[in-house]
Amino acid sequence: MATLTLKNIKKVYPNTERTTKKRKKKTDEPVKEKANLQITDEGVVAVQEFSLDIADREFIVLVGPSGCGKSTTLRMVAGLEEISDGELYIGDRLVNDVAPKDRDIAMVFQNYALYPHMSVYDNMAFSLKLQKVPKDEIRQKVEEAARILDITQYLDRKPKALSGGQRQRVAIGRAIVRSPQVLLMDEPLSNLDAKLRNQMRAEIIKLRQKINTTFIYVTHDQTEAMTLGDRIVIMKDGFIQQIGTPQEVFGHPNNLFVAGFIGTPQMNFFNDCQLTLEGGKYAVTVLGTSIPLTDEQQAKLKANNCKPGHVIVGVRPVHMRIDPNGFIGKIEVSEMMGSELHLHLSVGDSDIVAIIPTVGLNLSDYAIGKTIGFSFSPDLMHLFDPETTNNLI
Amino acid sequence: MTVIKASKKGPIRLTKGDRVFYAINAIVLGLLALIVLYPLYFIVIAAISDPDAVLKGHVVLWPVDITTSGFARILAEGKVWRGYLNTIIYTAITVVLALLVTIPAGWALSRKTLPGKKFWMIFFIIPMFFGGGLIPFYNVMSALDLTGKIWAVILPSILSVWNLFMTKTFFESSIPTGLLEAAKIDGAGEYKIFGLLVLPLSKAIIAVMALYYAIGQWNSYFNAMIFLQDENLYPLQLILKEILLASENTTGGSGETILEQYRMANQIKYVSVIVSSLPVMLLYPFVQKYFAQGVMIGSLKG
Amino acid sequence: MTTAKASAELVSRSRGSKAFRRLRENSPFLVMLFPAVVIVFLFNYLPIYGVLIAFHKDFVPGDSILNPVGGWVGLQNFKNFFEDVQFWPLMRNTFLLCIIGFVVGFPLPIIVSLMLNATRGRRTAKILQTIFNGPHFISLVVLIGMLNIFFGHYGLVNNIKESLGGERTQYFLQESAFRPMYILSSNWQDFGWSAIIYIAALSNVDPGQHEAAILDGASRFQRVIHVDLPAIMPMVSLMLIMSIGGLMGVGYEKAFLMQTDGNLGVSELISTYVYRKGILNDTNQSYATAIGLFNSIINVVLLIIANTTSKKFSNNSLW
Repeated sequence: MATLTLKNIKKVYPNTERTTKKRKKKTDEPVKEKANLQITDEGVVAVQEFSLDIADREFIVLVGPSGCGKSTTLRMVAGLEEISDGELYIGDRLVNDVAPKDRDIAMVFQNYALYPHMSVYDNMAFSLKLQKVPKDEIRQKVEEAARILDITQYLDRKPKALSGGQRQRVAIGRAIVRSPQVLLMDEPLSNLDAKLRNQMRAEIIKLRQKINTTFIYVTHDQTEAMTLGDRIVIMKDGFIQQIGTPQEVFGHPNNLFVAGFIGTPQMNFFNDCQLTLEGGKYAVTVLGTSIPLTDEQQAKLKANNCKPGHVIVGVRPVHMRIDPNGFIGKIEVSEMMGSELHLHLSVGDSDIVAIIPTVGLNLSDYAIGKTIGFSFSPDLMHLFDPETTNNLI
Repeated sequence: MTVIKASKKGPIRLTKGDRVFYAINAIVLGLLALIVLYPLYFIVIAAISDPDAVLKGHVVLWPVDITTSGFARILAEGKVWRGYLNTIIYTAITVVLALLVTIPAGWALSRKTLPGKKFWMIFFIIPMFFGGGLIPFYNVMSALDLTGKIWAVILPSILSVWNLFMTKTFFESSIPTGLLEAAKIDGAGEYKIFGLLVLPLSKAIIAVMALYYAIGQWNSYFNAMIFLQDENLYPLQLILKEILLASENTTGGSGETILEQYRMANQIKYVSVIVSSLPVMLLYPFVQKYFAQGVMIGSLKG
Repeated sequence: MTTAKASAELVSRSRGSKAFRRLRENSPFLVMLFPAVVIVFLFNYLPIYGVLIAFHKDFVPGDSILNPVGGWVGLQNFKNFFEDVQFWPLMRNTFLLCIIGFVVGFPLPIIVSLMLNATRGRRTAKILQTIFNGPHFISLVVLIGMLNIFFGHYGLVNNIKESLGGERTQYFLQESAFRPMYILSSNWQDFGWSAIIYIAALSNVDPGQHEAAILDGASRFQRVIHVDLPAIMPMVSLMLIMSIGGLMGVGYEKAFLMQTDGNLGVSELISTYVYRKGILNDTNQSYATAIGLFNSIINVVLLIIANTTSKKFSNNSLW
């Protein structure tokens, strides 16, 4: 357990063909997806201006699309990648130049990276053996970790003889036997099937209660991020987009990217909306209808000194409601999900999605091709500046 | 050269122990590279140096009194060029025939539906580990009336069972079954599938096989030595054998004449080594990845 | 072979039209296989059949193999060989050359592959590998020619020796120099080539395992021992079986080129002796064939022993 401080961390991959090739091989992230990364004279900037204070025992999730720099950041914390610029503290110790093994961290790898020729016990004991921990103590620690993860009966097996979920547990076990100050996890669940993934996610939440350590968890899956994280760090193209609790990033996304990235189905965006200011009161015109804003929103816009003009309005599908007096949309696709109905509507130029509960609903009214009316409440509306993509309220 | 590389930027800062490890590793590998390269380099500098200087041991690191007289003399050696030409002919015929035999057979052996597959596998495996030996082989060649003919050099070389199995492994691992099934549904017969689908997808193995067989024939001398009597048919390696090994190990004669003979003979040796290995050495850097590829295809089997 | 095919055809026909149809559908494969079968039959199986002359009294070319003029003599030729004054020297020469060559030559490629794999900088490793593979393509004649050049009376080695105050030596006429020259040149030529197979195995090691080991606190050397070496162990045991199987199978081609009157005492191997007896001097083909057969049988037995042992201890085997 320890606090962690990342100060303005930066990672540059020197700009030679050789290193890009090498890197491509290492991380399975095709180079072309890095097209949006900033390229300077020094090279490709994979991560920049990354600053974050992590509290003791906090569970931090780094999330973003592939190539956003989340894994690179994690690997810098692990010491597997050199930090090009900035400072990394674990506890009060500056660890930029400290070898990985001396950072008091452990890591769970995406593909588990278990040693195939060693038994589960030896896999877990390996790091302790290298540290020359006495044999009895090793046995005690491994057995305790095995008990926590419920893998005691597999200790003599080779990884090959284990299922995916069991290997995953061993990989976690190997990390926690060392009682690391920081536990790093690099997409640990992405190799599991959907059912196991849900199960392991719950296991990780339970694990957290049992061991005293700080977690940094990398994933591209926003559901994992929302359910696991105390705080979520959303990244794109090497930059942090937003840091916040799951509620914060869901309820108040900093910008268009975060708004679109967090929550499924994606937030609906109305592109051609006008922000108007009349008599000191802001209002927004959506699809030709002027919607007055709440007092709270008014205050924020005023505080930011917003100019009237073009804005993008975002509303989450779950915040749509059926309203015969509202906007009229034509149903393109209707997806019955059981407890709820996902309606894909075309309204003017935009395609939007609305989620409505199915309780007491006459499904035949929502067949493909029919038109329905819908609306949303102004306080659940997000306004984005089309230039900066920032949230205006 | 590796030492320089090891110093700066790496993904991880090195501990002291690791730095020592990398340094020792680089030094040992560097020495190995020197051991491999120096003899080759020496041949080159000796070939273009004055033979006297070579004999006196003055040529160690650099050529001394550069001369092309050795090359001029080898150019005048008719039998070298005839050997060269013979080898080129033998190699070309061998490669063509070997590909015609090996590639279809490898494909057939790789098919699960080959009638009697188990039998054929054993049929081809046995010769990998057991053979009749030299004398019966010699007698078979006589009985087939191949002795004294160039076919005695070519025919036994057009199928190596090892190469056959390498080809089979390649086909097993790199031709997707779905593609073949699609072709079958499209109405292609087995010959069409092989000719129009498999061959175009097998350039890698064809290249590897061609190179293996070519190098094998280029470098071989033994069959030619025991089966060919006519010097006009001798391949290059046999001519080289005469040049390189003939005068060396005789004893006797006065010191002066030996030295003189030696001086002349040696220069020819250096030059002939270069001239004979030149095609292989020139090609080598470009094709070496194919050779290595071949070994890896073979290793999949294990 | 043709009879085997025909009988296979008969059997399948009698089993019903389904099997017959399958055979017809797949007959193109037999056609494709045919040329290879002919070649192997001619140049591998006919000689195996010809091995029967080892049991003749004295085979002369033109004689019938099944009805020898001199009659059958059973194992007499083998007995003669065991009593031959050359028997023990030949066995010793062959065995020592092979065993020393194996002890030196087997671990070297493994070590080199591990070292190349641990080289920082992929490109450096690639260049080194290209250099190491190079000598493999030099022909035996040229290789021995080079040995002659370097170890000859006025060769580089003698030049150095003399400048250090030693006396010039005719290495090729010395018995004690034969094995070192043979083994060193073999290793010089092939250590890089033999390493390829291990390098390929090493390149398949998941980089994550190295990273996990780094986090576990392993040094680079410890990673070689605990990650790289275990990864190539299956390949190592496979190669071990293969080389033990081929232990006594040392070819005549190279030794023959290195033989001189001076070093014949150690350079005469079973295989070169066969050549000398059977072809060069043409004394007794049956006798020479028996010696060759004896050698082949030793090889097969060694291979079977190696394979069985390996199966027992490591689950790795050829069959």
